[in-house]
Amino acid sequence: MTSPIASHLGLRVLHQASLLLFAVVLVVFGMLSPAFLQTSNMVNILIQTSSTGILAVGMTFVLLTAGVDLSVGAIMFVAAAVGGKLILGGWAFGGVLAIMLGIGVLFGALNALFITRLAIMAFVVTLATRYFGRGLGLRITETRAMNLPESFYELGAARLLGVPVPVLIFAGVVLLAHLALTRTPFGRQVYAVGTDVEAARKAGINTGAVRFSVYAICGLCAAAAGIVALSQAPAVSPSFGNNREFMAIAAAVLGGTSLFGGRGAVFPGTVLGAVLIQTIENGLNVLNVNPYLYPLITSGVIFVAVLLDAIRSRVLAQANRRRIYTVAQPD
Amino acid sequence: MASLPALRLLKRALLADHLVLWLCLVYSAALAPFTPGFASWGNLQTILAYAMPILVVSVGLTLVLIVGGIDLSVTSIVALASVVGGKVMSADEGWLAGHALAVPAGLLAMLSVSAGLGAINGLAVTACRIPPFIATLTTMMLVSGLAIWLTLSRKIGGLPPGFVRLGQELWLAGMTAGVTTWLAHLALSCTLYGKWLYAIGHNARAASVSGVPVARVTFFTYVVSGWFAGLAAILFTAGLETGNPEMARDNLLDVVGAVVIGGTSLYGGRGRVSGTVFGVLFLALVDNSLNLLGLTFYTITMVKGGAILAAALTDALRNRLLTQE
Amino acid sequence: MIEFAHIEKSFFGVNVLKDVSLAVKPGQTVGLVGENGAGKSTLMNILGGNVRADAGEMRLDGQPYAPDSPRDAERAGIAFIHQELNLFSTLSIAENLFIGGFPRSRSWLPFINRRQMLQRTRSLLAEVNLPHAPDTLIERLSAGERQLVEIAKALALDARLIILDEPTTSLTARETERLFAILARLRARGLSLIYISHSLDHVLRLCDQIVVLRDGAVVANEPAVRFAMDRLVSLMVGREITQLFPPRAARPTKEVVLDVRDVAQPGIVRGIAFQLCRGEVLGLSGLMGAGRSELARILFGLDPCAAGDIRLEGESIRHLPASERIERGLAFLTEDRRAEGLCPEASIADNVTLVALPRLLRSWLGWLDRPRVAAEVRRMREAVKLTPTARDGQPVKTLSGGNQQKVVLAKWLLQEPKVFLLDEPTRGIDVGARYEVYRLIRQLAARGTGVLLISSEVEELLGMCDRILVMRGGAIRDTIEPHEFDRERILRAALHHGGLA
Repeated sequence: MTSPIASHLGLRVLHQASLLLFAVVLVVFGMLSPAFLQTSNMVNILIQTSSTGILAVGMTFVLLTAGVDLSVGAIMFVAAAVGGKLILGGWAFGGVLAIMLGIGVLFGALNALFITRLAIMAFVVTLATRYFGRGLGLRITETRAMNLPESFYELGAARLLGVPVPVLIFAGVVLLAHLALTRTPFGRQVYAVGTDVEAARKAGINTGAVRFSVYAICGLCAAAAGIVALSQAPAVSPSFGNNREFMAIAAAVLGGTSLFGGRGAVFPGTVLGAVLIQTIENGLNVLNVNPYLYPLITSGVIFVAVLLDAIRSRVLAQANRRRIYTVAQPD
Repeated sequence: MASLPALRLLKRALLADHLVLWLCLVYSAALAPFTPGFASWGNLQTILAYAMPILVVSVGLTLVLIVGGIDLSVTSIVALASVVGGKVMSADEGWLAGHALAVPAGLLAMLSVSAGLGAINGLAVTACRIPPFIATLTTMMLVSGLAIWLTLSRKIGGLPPGFVRLGQELWLAGMTAGVTTWLAHLALSCTLYGKWLYAIGHNARAASVSGVPVARVTFFTYVVSGWFAGLAAILFTAGLETGNPEMARDNLLDVVGAVVIGGTSLYGGRGRVSGTVFGVLFLALVDNSLNLLGLTFYTITMVKGGAILAAALTDALRNRLLTQE
Repeated sequence: MIEFAHIEKSFFGVNVLKDVSLAVKPGQTVGLVGENGAGKSTLMNILGGNVRADAGEMRLDGQPYAPDSPRDAERAGIAFIHQELNLFSTLSIAENLFIGGFPRSRSWLPFINRRQMLQRTRSLLAEVNLPHAPDTLIERLSAGERQLVEIAKALALDARLIILDEPTTSLTARETERLFAILARLRARGLSLIYISHSLDHVLRLCDQIVVLRDGAVVANEPAVRFAMDRLVSLMVGREITQLFPPRAARPTKEVVLDVRDVAQPGIVRGIAFQLCRGEVLGLSGLMGAGRSELARILFGLDPCAAGDIRLEGESIRHLPASERIERGLAFLTEDRRAEGLCPEASIADNVTLVALPRLLRSWLGWLDRPRVAAEVRRMREAVKLTPTARDGQPVKTLSGGNQQKVVLAKWLLQEPKVFLLDEPTRGIDVGARYEVYRLIRQLAARGTGVLLISSEVEELLGMCDRILVMRGGAIRDTIEPHEFDRERILRAALHHGGLA
């Protein structure tokens, strides 16, 4: 068995793993290509991160309660498909955005209903709604790529005080989520529910409501991520949002959010994780690596992150084990 | 609540052993008059040809669910095995193109690659103790990425005729699927392995205290699940005459859905191969009839998504009814 | 302040509380002592709103009081600090204190008023003398510090009565002193305390009034000054023999079957050495948390063993996994039947044959010999006298507790073990099934099996065992031979009194 000090040290390293990884990535790509470290490229990375990042923020809420949502990519797609139809039908831009966000919340609430009320495993429910959503989206778009008018593109290209709007939206979502998680009673209850549902119930927390809310928030974030993604490439293709749930889970886990619940943070954790994933992809791009290798490399990185999480929770369980006698106790 | 006759009937139906078989029959009977070409010999063959490979994958997944796990990577294993088979056997670009042993070597490669991937899943779940759904989700991404990278998204044609015959003759595919399903059924009901599988799924801690080698059995089950996916890949690949990196990509829902509809519990410890057979049959019937009715692929996906939710709901209801007694 | 009048409670037909009446006055500290299973926890669970009484009533400041949930109890000013603490390890001290109701900055904003929360936490922490910053995470605190946070939590709720259940078991001597200093201060402020503990010296030191419970009834309720340690112990154990034990068929042999040499695992057990002979029933006594179950798990190979050696029939099994120890003849009936003993959803037949299946095969392929399996199930059902109305295919969870335990016993008996570790085999089962369990233990011993019987019931150990070991704090403190069998001596060794260790 490891001594308490050694396991404590091990935990410190495990906590900082993603930061270390990030440093390594920056140094390696920086050495391989000078273009990589330029400010413009860094800004680029941030813009590219914003959509996945927002998705990952929503996912963090769900993961903190020891749940999961595999349907976020599909939610993105449905929201984008409906939004595209409406805007092509001549609806006002602002109204369309509101409706898209509403669809996200609705979808999340549907997931939540099945998970909290009917007590079905989160991953089954969201796997089913994922297919349901993809089918619905394809039906709406009639499996054709839908090119959208300028309004989305303008949103993406606009800058406020020199900062690109997608990055601003991302920052806004992160700020709100961070405040909600760290500064509101709801946020702290999310952690409590994830740490120990039974204890949370005993402490008088309405655990059903908390779990319901996180899936709704996750749906809302998915819709917002869809909007930001459209602003960068204003077209709804049949593969829009496909497999993005995976990137979102990965970003959150890389940022130190545990799949076992109760542990993690939007800032800096998830944000760092999302930026890290995008940085790797961007770096591979700058280095002209075969794009077919991207998914391999990212899933490799994710596997490491998940593995670290599993090891960390095992070390923690060992450290928190009940002791029968302590050394200081006399015989 | 059970005093009302209608409710009592519903409860009886929910707890019935062959609920899904009845569902299949009722569904077929109800749709046959409205669906042109549904009740014909040719269509039955179409349904069976569609169902055969899916059945093989589903049977593997059934074992994993019984032991209390999940394997989301099965369909991507099918895709990679298909690509590997093509890479080995294809007359156009295969490593053994034209060689006499190309077909056996191809089959061997497909089966060993898939079993190896199953072993990776098994290790991740048992040795690394990663939750099964995230472990297999990760391998799913990795494996499908690998399949696409190996082929650069192209399909591989020119498979040897000896191989393609496996898929052309329905009786051959049927026999492969039938024999594997039968074997899995026997293993579950008549062997030590089957008993251990259920015991672990029911209560892994109690099983381990009783001397069941929990980690070894669980690991082996993931290997079997991968191996069955490889077997299914042979049927898929031979049937479509191409090695395809996107093969079976949209069938994950069918597979998970069929197993869950077949009454296998997601919480482990409960399930039967016969249930999975009926589950696969049911989804195949739904797929086929909606196709014949002229509905698009997307609508069908939606309907299936709804069906799996309904099945999970039924499972939860059944559990509640069972614990009430 | 709080009054109990004629409280009755039974579980599964067993009367755990019989006509219990007592009162706690404001500012008073009442000690509640009794053996395991005397009814202390049940009484406190009724007070804390976890369990409802069958009969009788409670009065709080003269008003009838009947809490439906722990929240109700909290609102009435009663806080219950369980032995297993109820804190969220990834939240800060301050957040744990206010998780049930955070102070808000403005009613229309959803934000926590952090300044107010931290300030209040700081003053609460000062009251319990815990010099940590309010935003320290719970997982960084030691067991003793966490205990103090629980007390601060009770204070944050404006509790007027705090129930402490075995608060010192995981504390060091210094932490215990610190806790007592704080409890003394709280008492001076007029808070009432109910203090449950097996550490009688602590109870005598701390309490004004002591209530002794035995078999669910109050046997003494007097000011603490009237008690001495000896009198307390005799009051706790003074019970007539109420159970019958089957007669002993044979004497144990002198042939050692299990030899345990200086087994140790840091923080769990230390210096464990004893020998178990063929046909011997060796008792293992001690309080809850003394390390008895943990020792059994180490012997069986479920938990790691850092030092020492375990020999079965002369061969070391220390490095073997549990499955191989089973093959060599070790069996283990666990304390937690539902979680580790049975697969509750599986059938009787599947549970009975789970261990022995590898020996009931027809071929190396793993093919089951079904007729033999069925025959063995039938044989074992008769051997343990399982209820004849149950079908072999019936799920085990539908059986009564006694029959469930018989299934577990059948599972291991089928293996014909050489050494059988039994951890609380009669817990939660009725009198008839109990006798059946005792009969089976005797039968096993007569056939030459070495039995290690772990039990919290001293009566059971005295009636069944050939020798009794007593554990405390992870070590064996006393070995008692049959001619010295004495309830008080066992309890003294378990409670650390009388200088026998």
